[in-house]
Amino acid sequence: MELIFSLIVNGLMLGSLYAMVSVGLTLIFGITKVINFAHGEFMMIGMMLTYIITTYLGIHPYLTLVFIVPLLFVLGILVQKYLIEPLRNSDEHVQIFATVGLSIAMINLVLMIAGSDNFNTPSSGMRHTLDLGLATVLTGQVVIMLCSIFMVGGLHLFLTRTQMGRAIRATAQNRNAAQLMGINVSRINMVTFGIGIACVGIAAVLLSPLYPVNAQTGQSFVLIAFVIVVMGGLGSITGAFFAALIIGLVDSFTGFYLGSSLKGVAVFGIFLMILIFRPSGLFGKARKLAHVS
Amino acid sequence: MNDKTISSTPARNHGGGMRWLFNKKILFFATLASLIIIPIGVGDDYIYHIFITICLFAGLSTAWNIVGGYAGQLSLGHAIYYGIGAYTGMLMLNSGVSPWISMFVGAILAAGVAVAISYPCFKLHGPFYALASIAFLEVFHVISLNWVGLTGGANGVMVPLEMGWSTMIFTERLPSLVIVFGLMSFSLAVAWVIRRSKLGFQLIATRERESAARGAAIRTVHVRLYAAAISAGLTAMLGTFHGSYLTYIEPESAFNLTFSIQIVLFALVGGLGTVFGPLYGTILLVPITELARGWLGSSAIGLHGFVYGVVLILVVLFMPDGIMSLIQRYLPSSRVRRLDASVENSVDHVPLDDINKPTRPPIGEVVLKVEHLDKHFGGLHVTNDLSFDLHKGEVLGIIGPNGAGKTTVFNMISGFLRADSGSVAVLGEDGHFISPKTPGAFARSGVGRTFQIVQPFAAMTVEENIMVGAFYRFRSVEECRKAAREIASELGLNRFLDEEARNLPIGGLKRLEVARVMAMRPRILLLDEVMAGINPADLREAIELIKVIRNSGISIIAIEHVMQAVMELSDRVIVISSGEILAQGKPEEVVKNEAVIEAYLGKEASDASNE
Amino acid sequence: MKYNHKFRRTVISSVVATALLGGVSASAFAEVKFGALYPLSGGLALLGEESYRGLELAVEQINANGGVQGETVVLEIGDAVDNNQAIGEARRLISREDVKAIFGTFASSRSIAASQVAEMSKVPYFELGAVADDVTERGLSYVFRTNPTAYHMAETIIDMLVDGIAPELGVDPTELRIGIIHEDSNYGSSVAKHQRAFAEEKGLNIVMEEHYPASSVDMSSIVLSLQDKDVDVVLQTSYQDDSVLFLRQANERDYRPKAIIGGGGGYSMTPTAEAVGHDVIDGVYDADFTQYNINPEFAPGIEDFVASYEEKYNESPRSGHSLINYTGALGLLRAIDAGSGFSADEIKEAVLAMDVPVGETAAGIGLKIGENNQNERASMMGMQWQDGELVTVYPEEASVADMRTSQ
Repeated sequence: MELIFSLIVNGLMLGSLYAMVSVGLTLIFGITKVINFAHGEFMMIGMMLTYIITTYLGIHPYLTLVFIVPLLFVLGILVQKYLIEPLRNSDEHVQIFATVGLSIAMINLVLMIAGSDNFNTPSSGMRHTLDLGLATVLTGQVVIMLCSIFMVGGLHLFLTRTQMGRAIRATAQNRNAAQLMGINVSRINMVTFGIGIACVGIAAVLLSPLYPVNAQTGQSFVLIAFVIVVMGGLGSITGAFFAALIIGLVDSFTGFYLGSSLKGVAVFGIFLMILIFRPSGLFGKARKLAHVS
Repeated sequence: MNDKTISSTPARNHGGGMRWLFNKKILFFATLASLIIIPIGVGDDYIYHIFITICLFAGLSTAWNIVGGYAGQLSLGHAIYYGIGAYTGMLMLNSGVSPWISMFVGAILAAGVAVAISYPCFKLHGPFYALASIAFLEVFHVISLNWVGLTGGANGVMVPLEMGWSTMIFTERLPSLVIVFGLMSFSLAVAWVIRRSKLGFQLIATRERESAARGAAIRTVHVRLYAAAISAGLTAMLGTFHGSYLTYIEPESAFNLTFSIQIVLFALVGGLGTVFGPLYGTILLVPITELARGWLGSSAIGLHGFVYGVVLILVVLFMPDGIMSLIQRYLPSSRVRRLDASVENSVDHVPLDDINKPTRPPIGEVVLKVEHLDKHFGGLHVTNDLSFDLHKGEVLGIIGPNGAGKTTVFNMISGFLRADSGSVAVLGEDGHFISPKTPGAFARSGVGRTFQIVQPFAAMTVEENIMVGAFYRFRSVEECRKAAREIASELGLNRFLDEEARNLPIGGLKRLEVARVMAMRPRILLLDEVMAGINPADLREAIELIKVIRNSGISIIAIEHVMQAVMELSDRVIVISSGEILAQGKPEEVVKNEAVIEAYLGKEASDASNE
Repeated sequence: MKYNHKFRRTVISSVVATALLGGVSASAFAEVKFGALYPLSGGLALLGEESYRGLELAVEQINANGGVQGETVVLEIGDAVDNNQAIGEARRLISREDVKAIFGTFASSRSIAASQVAEMSKVPYFELGAVADDVTERGLSYVFRTNPTAYHMAETIIDMLVDGIAPELGVDPTELRIGIIHEDSNYGSSVAKHQRAFAEEKGLNIVMEEHYPASSVDMSSIVLSLQDKDVDVVLQTSYQDDSVLFLRQANERDYRPKAIIGGGGGYSMTPTAEAVGHDVIDGVYDADFTQYNINPEFAPGIEDFVASYEEKYNESPRSGHSLINYTGALGLLRAIDAGSGFSADEIKEAVLAMDVPVGETAAGIGLKIGENNQNERASMMGMQWQDGELVTVYPEEASVADMRTSQ
């Protein structure tokens, strides 16, 4: 019983971490229809910056949010404006390769500057163990869990309650109609991309006290994030959240019962099943989508 | 749209007197020859290695391009097939079987795997197909790590260093180069043949417009599976070679995502979907990386990866069609096909005098029976118990306000949409009524359709577009070409034969749409608003054109908003409103029907007079 | 992090300077070229470069003492980013640079690929740091290895457990419940394979064996499995990220086995200790190439090595890779110096005559090429983290401290 409880708690903690990483990706996908293969690298950059700012200023890693979120927001806007937007009418291959190219360039740029070393942001109390009776968690994990809920809730409110949010949703549903209604679609896309990257910036800051970062770190998370985005139903933020929790649990349970070596097969197996049999995602309505014929 | 044609025309004239020298064909064969001659000339092992690497990647990229470029399925998992080939070769060599044999075993295995994993994935497009292919690659990687009994797990497989042609392991480098050059040339030849074959046209048509391709009786899933199998087979053969060349493989390098991306990168830089683009892309990029390594030393960690990333971004931003687009622009092809300069002025005019006008045969028996069609979209009742017949040689006009369900009816009587209930029966050539289910089946039973929103295969020439329609009637490409030319001349399109469809003006596209359907020699023709958006002069010609088609004995159903055309062409008119038949009869009677005027004509008649 | 960009520049410039000096001296003195093939870019670059430094220092020392057979040694560097590249660079070194032998390679898969080329071209290939069995078990006649291997690592770990740790704990080793976990590449699986064999030989009780991708972001399910199966002794063979992850998560889940014995990789590195915290890593055992807290009488020359390392690179050695490469390279170069000529067979003959007893090199290992051209006097050292230092505790003659158990 204790074991099962531990597995569940571990799975949920891991799941909310995945949720943090995936929310931005799913937002970007839902609105701009671009799969951002460089998403993990934005997170890696965020973690690197957290490390640098924390060590130079000697402040608590969470305080770096003040710098990193705006910085990544602007970075996202620039990438959308100068890389993605010019390709809006191009072939899908070309869009994919724009972000793949960006990802390769970012990884190697960091390799050139920082080498392949690991950088450890001070844990600043975030690795403190909390005893839940049947299982233990880290303070940092609890923070991540709470923040992922806030982030999902916040984005949901933003998209449903604000003028900008409505404009973003309108664009997602019908680009042309939105344009006719006087919505500046390319501006919406920039803002969306900025918000998506800012979200992964928050994830980066919260992850930093728990994980070392190196040039390849983004790669460890991004494939899982894709799985979650597709599973949650494309562009659905709450869907992605629950999908992330499910993947976290799958990860935890298969890791224990099947062995860590087969975890990958389980996760990607589920992913393929969903792509093939329920392409609208686990929670999406079985409607006709742009990506299936 | 037309600008492109005009601007590219003078550029193509550049060759001038030197044309024979800077000819695409000559460039190609010179390039190919240099891949062998340079290393032999230099005689250096390292240069050999670079050229072997070039040939390997050029071959892999070319093979990838068959499925990634022609069929438009962006696979990032091609290392699967490479790995299968490499492992098959190594394992069989260890049990005494020469790579010359295992190469084919590996190819067949890889082709089988490709079919098995592509079949469920082909309904995915663009990024989703790419993600699925990555997921499959991960799965194969894990399998190769865990199936220790077969693959040796993480330790990989190696072969004893027994030199010779039978093991494909050599001390000197020339034999390896010759083999990989041969394999690359074979890949290129296969890619070239496919591009010129029926399969190639069908693949590109499918990539460009899947629905239109299905309408033209192309088995879109089948052709893509053929492409995937061929591509995987070629990739595996190169994998077998590379296994022998490395004499050692392990899961890490065999089922590697970076390796897969590299393969695609060369094809993208060279030019997606072109026959020779991957070759030129590889020839450009591999030496650049090698030189960068030499100049900048080995100490600059990440530099060459950074260069790759930046090159990739620059290429997609500024040269999305790759190197081949430059070659196309500045080098003339050996077969000079060009537009007459005068044509651009008279783009839309069909020389009516060219068209012979047979006399109209009498209206005959029923050829299409539509009975009690019902269709719901969610809560919306789109068609409600709709029934009508079509007679041989008849022109049936369908009119109705926007959203009345006209196009839905078309979709149901051409197989693109399945009705909730009711039936559609087509008179077969043997005199029996049949009920086809899929677009392909409808097409084969003699029903051809156009699309309201024109669906040309944009990257194909006009001639090729029409040929796609002819494919299901003829076996050989040449017969199709001949048929396409005949139809083009019937429809006044023969001047544009070599122009890419995307460069045609809207009137031309509409006509192309009809031409493609006519190439299928349908007995029943469904025309979806072919008159919309064309100017009055062309309208006249279009009406005459349809008369010609009608006079040749083809039955026609036309959805049309242009009243002039409806009135003049239709033998009978059906008015659909809210999914039901509001009225039917002779055009002049329907026009006088008060319900119709109220529901529809009041508005539409004034529209028509404005046109 | 001690290792930073500024530092890298210094390395680059010193490499360039060495190359230039080599170029200048070419006109004045006779020189002999050897290849240095390491992964110097990509994911393996950090330890690849650390390994290269050992070779570089050995070459400098040899040159300062008159070179090899009177000729100055010049190193031509090759970058083995991936297997195909390793082959390409090996070819370049052999055919363009005309090197007389190649030294390398740190990463086993690169070594296996590149040494096949050397073998076919009949150029001696000296492996100084790769641990996979297959490097020397292919029956090649020009591929030699001086460093201890996965076999030795497993041997040291099991011996240390049976002869040292178990008596220290006061238990019969066969009563201990042993769990083997390892990263899933060539490295981890080779070591694990031998651990299993040695453990079975000694009648030990392995209750769990599991592998995982080195890029894992969560190992809590492994920790739970270990807890669930009541594992007393964990043997982990890992790189840095996964060592850190495992030690942290084990500690945070309050999993306290009687002993954790790491196999090389992350366990020997100071950044790992810093990342998980010294209080957590204290008491953890490790088997690896010789590290720096070793009895200097057992490893004569190690102090000079560290001194010249620090002088040249302005920092302490980052791992034992430089030392083991240095030791092997120095022994080989001396042996070649004692030989006659630089043809493949002359070098081979000279190297086969090499005979250095255990305890007379800077790494403490002996040097004698034996079966399969593997150094038969190689061994790994057993170490333990004590008070923030990685100290040698096994074997007895090399140790500088006693083992400590928490019980």
